[in-house]
Amino acid sequence: MYRYDEFDERFVRERVAQFRGQVERRLDGSLSEDEFKPLRLKNGLYLQLHAYMLRIAVPYGTLNSAQLRMLAHIAETYDKGYGHFTTRQNLQFNWPKLKDVPTILELLADVEMHCIQTSGNCIRNVTSDQFAGVARDEVEDPRPTAELIRQWSSLHPEFVWLPRKFKIAVTGAEHDRAAIMVHDIGLKLKRNDQGAVGYEVIVGGGLGRTPMIGKVVREFLPKDELLAYLEAVMRVYNSEGRRDNKFKARVKILVHETGEEEFRARVEEEYAKLDGPTINAPEEEVERIAAYFAAPTYEALPDVSQVLDQARAIDPELDRFVEQNSFEHKQPGYIALTIALKEIGAVPGDMSADQMRAFADIAEKYSFDEFRVTHSQNLVLPHVKKDDLPAVHAALKAAGLASANAGLITDIIACPGLDYCALATAKSIPIAQAIAKTFADQERQKAIGELPIKISGCINACGHHHVGAIGILGLEKGGRENYQITVGGDATEHAALGERLGPGIDAEDVPAAIEAIVETYLAEKQGSESFIETVRRTGPEPFKTGFTAFIESRAVESEAAE
Amino acid sequence: MAKDHRAGSKVRGEKLPAILMASHLLEGDTVFKTDAGWTRDPSAAKIAHDAETAAAMEAEGKAAAAANLVIDPYLVPVDLTDGGLPVAKHFRDVMRQKGPSIHPDMGKQAEFPPLR
Ligand code: HEM
Ligand code: SF4
Repeated sequence: MYRYDEFDERFVRERVAQFRGQVERRLDGSLSEDEFKPLRLKNGLYLQLHAYMLRIAVPYGTLNSAQLRMLAHIAETYDKGYGHFTTRQNLQFNWPKLKDVPTILELLADVEMHCIQTSGNCIRNVTSDQFAGVARDEVEDPRPTAELIRQWSSLHPEFVWLPRKFKIAVTGAEHDRAAIMVHDIGLKLKRNDQGAVGYEVIVGGGLGRTPMIGKVVREFLPKDELLAYLEAVMRVYNSEGRRDNKFKARVKILVHETGEEEFRARVEEEYAKLDGPTINAPEEEVERIAAYFAAPTYEALPDVSQVLDQARAIDPELDRFVEQNSFEHKQPGYIALTIALKEIGAVPGDMSADQMRAFADIAEKYSFDEFRVTHSQNLVLPHVKKDDLPAVHAALKAAGLASANAGLITDIIACPGLDYCALATAKSIPIAQAIAKTFADQERQKAIGELPIKISGCINACGHHHVGAIGILGLEKGGRENYQITVGGDATEHAALGERLGPGIDAEDVPAAIEAIVETYLAEKQGSESFIETVRRTGPEPFKTGFTAFIESRAVESEAAE
Repeated sequence: MAKDHRAGSKVRGEKLPAILMASHLLEGDTVFKTDAGWTRDPSAAKIAHDAETAAAMEAEGKAAAAANLVIDPYLVPVDLTDGGLPVAKHFRDVMRQKGPSIHPDMGKQAEFPPLR
């Protein structure tokens, strides 16, 4: 894991001291809210419906047990005893008081954490594959790249006031788990025909009110040219991105309005003007960073674990958990384990301070003191010995963290929505809870198989609804909450935006509508097709038909009731 | 700078009676205007029944924001319960009067009696 050097340490401490001064000036009245707001947003502090909200950066989703214990301490001392993991692999506290925030930042700095780059029109916290360094389909670990970009972007004077926020995601794997096609820049580590490692560079993806799939701007960028090329992209965006209209300010709009070809040409033109060697990181620095992400010292183990096989044979719950939540590790005898923060009826992504402490102990003891946050609001223990799985499962179960539904229909992404968010037009979390309850039966979930549902409480799309196999968007219509449903969205290498099935419906009708959509899938499904594979083959038409029939049946029912 | 707030009530139509709602600077908590100052108790909010009172409250809210006591004060149209207590007309404002629907143990609903 990356550790701060003196430079990082000093930078973070200075920022804390600076913010402490700003809060003091706000409290004594020398800063007005209009003056203070941009400053607090630069430090991840928002104002929501009931309280302030503090967003803490988790660079590329990697944490250790000491950090999680500190988060538990902060949750208990300065908040209401829990935290919320988000789709950007960050953590949010929903109830901090303004006067406590400088102290919270101080405590975070003690464990090498901060809230910088979690808000505002800067390059935001870089996200990555939760199975980085673990996956068998990986060309190279994406975390050193993510860390390099973090260091370059944190301090880059040219890019602190961009036209709009800027989000970068990196993957090193064949299968995209980092949603790189829907980020401002997506990077994919790959090999060219000569076997050299480099990046495919995708620009102009994004969600929000104008969702777009990114365009490949460079098929292959040699690895050591990364920062200079990124700088060229940022320069074109910084000078040509629109600052007159916030809704048209993201780079996706610039790419769209300029045209893919022309945008590519402008980037290359800018790139030709830059002096690469003065911008690109020196090789020693790249190696220094990479060394932090060296694989832990694994034991040499057989790939099959007798201990685990025997335990699974007599414990169906363990068996089901391992079947559903484990991910193949490149090291024989090890496994990566997804911890779904999605118990039926729970708030997606929420974790109590007690659970944090229990989980910190588990990560320390069984996973080389490391864990990951996923963009599906789940956690991952990246390196668990198969022999240890029965003990890990027992410990997770005792902490209420052994939900065997990773990737299934009840593993739902939901943004905070109207329960917290000041921008929301409708609730989001209660919809996720109602759907999870409807599909609580384990056998039923298993029969339906992989089905990512994603819910947002307004068009900003923090819950990624555009790229949910089923997407749900909460809006306000005629003074009531109203939900639009889409199918066919996909955040992977097959990136696609979902298509709307019909008119919006009431909150109470959403679970039954999802059931109708699932019925259509089960009727249309061929062989072992997953939901999204079926939609890809059939298109949305059969789902629209099923949905229309559902709406008509509802109308008849409500007439009968009147 | 990115907007992190949709201030103001979203009610269309009848704007009275109304209460005045804001966020407390220090706590971030929702507060309501009273005759004497501000309260955290939704049932103690002062109710404006006429446009003059509402305008006066709004002006006091602006002054309190300028004095760095509260943030984003705005008038919230309400219906009155049988007991004469103000319940916001819009579901977003109701959420602020109560607290998160998913955590009945948090926010105003956990501390104060319901508006009846
Ligand atoms: C106070 C809370 C929040 C505010 C004010 C907020 C604001 C916004 C806004 C305005 C956008 C649209 C940006 C654009 O299209 O230019 C957006 C997008 C997004 N936000 Fe949030 N958000 C909040 C909470 C969250 C949370 C909790 C998450 C993670 C669960 C999140 C993750 C995202 C993501 C992934 C997107 C869409 C990707 C994109 O930027 O295109 N946000 N947010
Ligand atoms: S999608 Fe809308 S409601 Fe949900 S967190 Fe983002 S801004 Fe808030």
